[in-house]
Amino acid sequence: MTAGEVEAPADPATPPAEGDEIPRRARVLVAIVLVLLLVPGVIGFDLWPLTGWRLFSLSRDADQTRWVLLAVDAEGERDVVSLEELPLGYRHAEWPMSELPGAGRARRDDVCRALLGAVVEARPGTTELVIARDHARLVEVDGEWTTRHDYEPFHSCEPGEEGR
Amino acid sequence: MSRAQSWVVRARHALDDALWGPETAARLVFVHTALAALIGVRIVAGSYRQLADTPPALVDPVPILGFLDRMPSVEVIVALQVVGGLAALAAVLRRHPRLAFAVAWVCYLVLAGLRGSRGKVLHNDLLLLWASAPFLLAPVDVDRHDPVPRRRYGWPIRVGIVVTALIYFFAGYHKLRRSGPSWAYGDNMRYIALWGPAIGSSGWAGIARWTGEHIWVARASGVFILGLELAYPVVIFVPRTRLWFAAGAVFLHVSTWFLLGLDYWAWAVTVPLLLVDWPAALARLRERRARRPAAEARPATAG
Repeated sequence: MTAGEVEAPADPATPPAEGDEIPRRARVLVAIVLVLLLVPGVIGFDLWPLTGWRLFSLSRDADQTRWVLLAVDAEGERDVVSLEELPLGYRHAEWPMSELPGAGRARRDDVCRALLGAVVEARPGTTELVIARDHARLVEVDGEWTTRHDYEPFHSCEPGEEGR
Repeated sequence: MSRAQSWVVRARHALDDALWGPETAARLVFVHTALAALIGVRIVAGSYRQLADTPPALVDPVPILGFLDRMPSVEVIVALQVVGGLAALAAVLRRHPRLAFAVAWVCYLVLAGLRGSRGKVLHNDLLLLWASAPFLLAPVDVDRHDPVPRRRYGWPIRVGIVVTALIYFFAGYHKLRRSGPSWAYGDNMRYIALWGPAIGSSGWAGIARWTGEHIWVARASGVFILGLELAYPVVIFVPRTRLWFAAGAVFLHVSTWFLLGLDYWAWAVTVPLLLVDWPAALARLRERRARRPAAEARPATAG
């Protein structure tokens, strides 16, 4: 061995013991799995089950805008309907609602009316359903954290009528 | 051989060992069976039937289910649960394990896909799905009493560990990429705790509020989460750290449930299953117990 040379481990290409080879199809499967995991992971896009694993990756602060449902009763009183009050199929409705600004009137009506049925079942006195943006802010007052809400109506619908 | 060439050989060696290194047959059978059982529990116990009532306007199918324009009927969903559950049971009992595992895995993929077909990208089932994918071709003609670690037994476990490590790393990488290091030491964790989850509610509202009100607790949590995620690839190359990283992941997911009520228990179970050599740990425990009575039986020396 000359200067500048170091002892190296054996090359991994050394064939394994007889009967202990990795099957070719296993190597192909592993290559596919790793490519499908690495490409969206590095770039950061979602084509479920391919995903960028962007879990809670955006920092939160005191301001948050969310899409909410406001149930209006016969007296005109508005009350926020938690999606937790609705059946399981409706719990993620915030995501379809968040896409409504780019959607046409028919799509807005479809989503509103789809939600209205479940809201009327949960709140039988509902005369109108309003899809709204909630511009919320966390505020600390005397050591206590409270949330201030500012609702911005976006679309509404009533039982038996087209959406507005 | 030059220093650079030596490093290349060493890197190739490390990578080869990371993906194709040897493990015992007992460990392979244990992990394969446990993953099948876990998939079976997720299939059978998951609240999928209620998804059938989702109005078509609220259905946004995930790409692999893009052919659906609405949720399948209750009958179809229950059929998937029954077939998947029975297949998982067959895999656990080692009856046609490769076919049974594949059927259970596909049923689980479809059911988890249905759950995620409501607009929000859901990750709750993805670690188990991805980490168990190599086991679709895991060897099944295995003599579980063969004490010699072999590459043909080891590769599904090794690849599962690499997949798990990459998943945690990517979670940390995107936090850094989108928010920077202040994700960890800024006010972010305070607001995560105070705002609560987008869906559902905190498992323990008191602890969430307490974390939000104590900024140093919130910051320590953030540093722990980001540090753990970014450091996870260490488990690929330094096996003695795996127990600690597994414990860290379990702690992370249990505390996430208390803080945000998020269902990541499939992650919390999958990670220790893969990272810890349970048959070897059990053998060591038995050995220690066997030694103890012998040591106790020895007469005490005068002192």
